[in-house]
Amino acid sequence: MVGLSSGEKHFIRGGIAQDLRSDGRQRLNYRPVSVEVGVIPQANGSARVRLGATDVIASIKAELGRPDPLRPDKGKVSIFVDCSPTAEPKFEGRGGEDLSTELSVALQRCLLGGKSGAGAGIDLSSLMIAEGKICWDLYIDALVVSSDGNLLDALAAAIKVGLSNTGIPKVTVDLGTAPDDQPEVDVSDEEFLQFDTSGVPLIVTVTKVGRHYIVDATSEEESQMSTAVSVSVNKRGHICGMTKRGGAGLDSSVILDMISVAKHVSEHLLSVLDSEIAVAEAAAMS
Amino acid sequence: MATAPTTYSPSQGLERRQQQQRRRIFKEEDWVRSDGRGFNQCRPAFLRTGAGNAASGSAYAEFGTTKVIVSVFGPRESKKAMMYSDIGRLNCNVSFTTFSTPTRGQGLDNKEYSSMLHKALEGAIILESFPKTTVDVFALVLESGGSDLPVIITCASLALADAGIMMYDLVSSVSVSCFGKNLVIDPTAEEEAFQDGSFMVTYMPSRKEVTQLTLTGEWSTAKINEAMELCLDACLKLADVLRSCLKEAANAG
Repeated sequence: MVGLSSGEKHFIRGGIAQDLRSDGRQRLNYRPVSVEVGVIPQANGSARVRLGATDVIASIKAELGRPDPLRPDKGKVSIFVDCSPTAEPKFEGRGGEDLSTELSVALQRCLLGGKSGAGAGIDLSSLMIAEGKICWDLYIDALVVSSDGNLLDALAAAIKVGLSNTGIPKVTVDLGTAPDDQPEVDVSDEEFLQFDTSGVPLIVTVTKVGRHYIVDATSEEESQMSTAVSVSVNKRGHICGMTKRGGAGLDSSVILDMISVAKHVSEHLLSVLDSEIAVAEAAAMS
Repeated sequence: MATAPTTYSPSQGLERRQQQQRRRIFKEEDWVRSDGRGFNQCRPAFLRTGAGNAASGSAYAEFGTTKVIVSVFGPRESKKAMMYSDIGRLNCNVSFTTFSTPTRGQGLDNKEYSSMLHKALEGAIILESFPKTTVDVFALVLESGGSDLPVIITCASLALADAGIMMYDLVSSVSVSCFGKNLVIDPTAEEEAFQDGSFMVTYMPSRKEVTQLTLTGEWSTAKINEAMELCLDACLKLADVLRSCLKEAANAG
């Protein structure tokens, strides 16, 4: 909980109404994004994303597993978020657990698409090795290192960057002669396949404070919000997932308006992130 | 590595073949829903208040094969460990019976549903009307037949009204599934398993406010508009059903 005096609250609200926020940003500006890749050597891919004082790490690990018998042609992806009490004391115990589930569910909703797999940011069939027998299980674990609002956007960005940094080892499969044979798998430790992350969406959270919308709210600003709608948008400008936070009700036309704001902001954020990824990859190479 | 399957299910091959067949049907432009409804037609709703005796208020809802009981307890004293609060607390819990799904005991996502139920209801309840106390909402899914969460939320708002908890408005909820170009309202479990995307809205019809919404899958803006319109219209009609159910209970008592 952010402790704010009524003067500070008034200042924040007034600033937002006049399109000049406490840190000098305009309503629809993000804080500077900084990106690092390959921060966790044990993982197949990893990234650290900082949005102002919000700091998150995403690690992507691929393991061999068996596909779901009902979906024999697809691999599996699971997303977990950990809110460590080192970031904020309120993350200890149930508070952190609740937030972790909320964030994990929102990310799953935004990245994994519908039940049939349509609209998924990650192409699950690309994780297939031998149909019905072996597939890759992709474990995406995200950690909140430090929290200053807008965790969901930062986490989604970190996952996108992490995936673009992920190399899946090339495998050669010997299916054997009998159909019931367990196939023999040879995992190469030299050749890696790069992931196609162009379809992975970003999340833009539009927060409503008073009568205005802001993006990338700090925790101080979040304490003044009435509602927030998190919209995940992919490169094609399609909406891939949506969640709402905050108890207050919203008129349906306001929601549609917030979606169009999110769509507009996402175009800019996507291009910023793409160039940041290129810079980070170049830095990691040298 | 163990290659032999640990359990034996004779119907699995058959089941899979049937599923593949269904999946193909859903990909077509025009198909008939398994219960013969039109795409924009909801299942018949059966709602009753007073399902349990011990609770302050309770309700039972049956939408097609989806059957839900919700009990509301309180307002009662908050647990001693909780900090002082000058507004009331809302505690929601959703659980599935082990026999609610075709495969036994798969009601694992109840934590997600609990938090969704909480978020859908908290905007509708006048929490200032019961400071220092807690209202508990317990939902039990007897049979999971699709659109479980919307049914739970609708039933919970009816139970809250039955318990006499002060609310700004009743909350009704409807979900829509997306199959290619088609939008299908109030999907069954089978339809949900093959949907390309889903859209769920919880709505306070008299105040014209959306308290909660979720969306999965890839949607264009035009389609979101269409789905929103479809859902809000259905929510409005569902709230009428809720209201007439409450009136009936009041007249009988």
